[in-house]
Amino acid sequence: MGHHVTSKDIPVDGEHLDRSKVAGIMRICLIIAVVGTIGAFAIMLGGDKESQFVGSVTYSWLFAFFYFLTIAMGGCFWTLLHNVSNSGWGTSVRRTMENVGFVFPFMFVFALPLLFPQVQHWLYEWMTMHKAAAAHAPEGMGLKDALHHSGDPHDHLLYNKFFYLNQPMWYLRFFLFFGALGFTIWVQRKWSIAQDTDPNPTTALLFKQRWHASWGIPIVAVTITFAAIDWVMGLDYKWFSTMFGVYVFAGSALNSMAVIILVTIFLRRKGYLKNVVGPEHDHIMGKLAFAFTIFWAYVTFSQFFLIWYANITEETSYFLLRNTSNWNTLSIGLVALHFFVPFLMLLRSDVKKSNKFMIFMASYLLVLHMVDVYHMVIPERGPSVTSIASHGKDIHLWVNVSAAWLYDLVAFVVIGSGFLFFLLRNITSAALYPHRDPRILESANLHN
Amino acid sequence: MSTTVKRVYGYLAEFESASALYKAAEKVRDAGFRKWDCFTPYPVHGLDHAMGVKRSILPYFVFFGGLTGFLTALVLAYTTQVVIYPTVVQAKPANIFTVPAFFPIMFELTVLFSGFTTLFGLLGLCQLPRLNHPLFASKQFHRVTDDGFFIAIEARDPKFSAEATKGLLDEIGGKNIELVEDDNK
Repeated sequence: MGHHVTSKDIPVDGEHLDRSKVAGIMRICLIIAVVGTIGAFAIMLGGDKESQFVGSVTYSWLFAFFYFLTIAMGGCFWTLLHNVSNSGWGTSVRRTMENVGFVFPFMFVFALPLLFPQVQHWLYEWMTMHKAAAAHAPEGMGLKDALHHSGDPHDHLLYNKFFYLNQPMWYLRFFLFFGALGFTIWVQRKWSIAQDTDPNPTTALLFKQRWHASWGIPIVAVTITFAAIDWVMGLDYKWFSTMFGVYVFAGSALNSMAVIILVTIFLRRKGYLKNVVGPEHDHIMGKLAFAFTIFWAYVTFSQFFLIWYANITEETSYFLLRNTSNWNTLSIGLVALHFFVPFLMLLRSDVKKSNKFMIFMASYLLVLHMVDVYHMVIPERGPSVTSIASHGKDIHLWVNVSAAWLYDLVAFVVIGSGFLFFLLRNITSAALYPHRDPRILESANLHN
Repeated sequence: MSTTVKRVYGYLAEFESASALYKAAEKVRDAGFRKWDCFTPYPVHGLDHAMGVKRSILPYFVFFGGLTGFLTALVLAYTTQVVIYPTVVQAKPANIFTVPAFFPIMFELTVLFSGFTTLFGLLGLCQLPRLNHPLFASKQFHRVTDDGFFIAIEARDPKFSAEATKGLLDEIGGKNIELVEDDNK
């Protein structure tokens, strides 16, 4: 960069990262992911139904799966936002957004355990209660009425939530999330790539992407919100928060941007993208990361603040668990490390243009997002797993499994390897930027 | 006819377009002038870079303005609600753990003080408001809010010279070069 980029600087056939150059990393990632996934499936699906170890592993898996799912969903969000807002600045990084987003359909593989009763048994208490109510129902009585007439007062709550929390609908939503958002990002990326080989590139495909992104935006919003509700908020069926979907979205958008920043920096270090991505793009992406750091804090605090202030019994259970004992240290740590530190560090504009600094900052944000998702999922583990393993006789805040955190780490590495494998697959399967997009020069010569 | 000697403000030159102005600005910058400015009907992206304008000191003012607001709110809320008159709401503690209740106030005052510092800091650094500007004496300068692109090089610049500066403006494509005199004296 540094000079005015003209069409002479853009290769006719675009820049490609040859797959052979990353074959080694991809093979290692694939081996870890395949071996780890098979092992985890064997433990979760074939394990003892009363073993705290098996229960712990299901939570580790959900934590790691949800972490990488948020990043992939965020990639879908950035792609669609870029297209629907008719942006010119990011045409040169749009393919990277698409590549991160297009990991989403592949995440289905890691979501599979959630479909099995052996795993649901540990994670989703409401499903167990539905089954118990159905088993004890008088003949001819439907499940909803059975919940209504059950002696357990908690079942009445499930009766009132039955329109949403019922298993057929839950399974339907599961497939809808992957089907709808998966199709959206697939078709957006398909049109984008089709333009790369178009011998007579016009604005037709660009406008098509923009037009179709307009219905993609509601899909990504609904998917992030309800996936968060079904898979994470559903861990405690008594609790509800209208802010939860936005909270997960804030983390998704922020950390997906962190991944996009890292990918564009690493590609440039290897000599790609140099003509079209420069400090101005780094600056904009840094500003977006900065903005979403603030948005995350705003949303997270809004959720906490209203629940804390109103102090209504059924709303406080989430924070009763997380704001007592050691979890409170983590909660307060998140406020300081996930908001104040990145806020102050990203405040200056010149640091956002420094690649070295942004590599550190993006990695830091990704680590803190891991802590954030951990804080969403894992506090539920102790009470749920100990209760299920002891049939409700011996409930503890922590599972009685030595080094349970180790399983979290292993699950994280396994699904992380899978994520990296699919990301590299996407990056190497198409040109690194849409070189025949009518606005690639506008983007390359960006000033902000 | 007045015989009063007027103070020379500087040279004013018109340019055809924003891009002509941009390229001319780079040349004036490279010639080493300090006291000069560009005038356009709309913001031109990257012109500050072409002019060699250094980053403003304003962000630092704003940071400390915001910090002042943050601390003001914290001290104000904490002193009144915890120290002087402990307010117990729904059995919540009146101590340092009450601080989430003050977050909205801390946020608002941070924003308010930052906003005020931005506005008044900007006005101060631009030396605004002012009643008049010597360039308003120029008839052609009225078009600056419509379709005119101008560069003005001030006489108080150490590099200014009656002949060479005019020559430079002419060379870089300036039209209607005019020596503007300060009306006020």
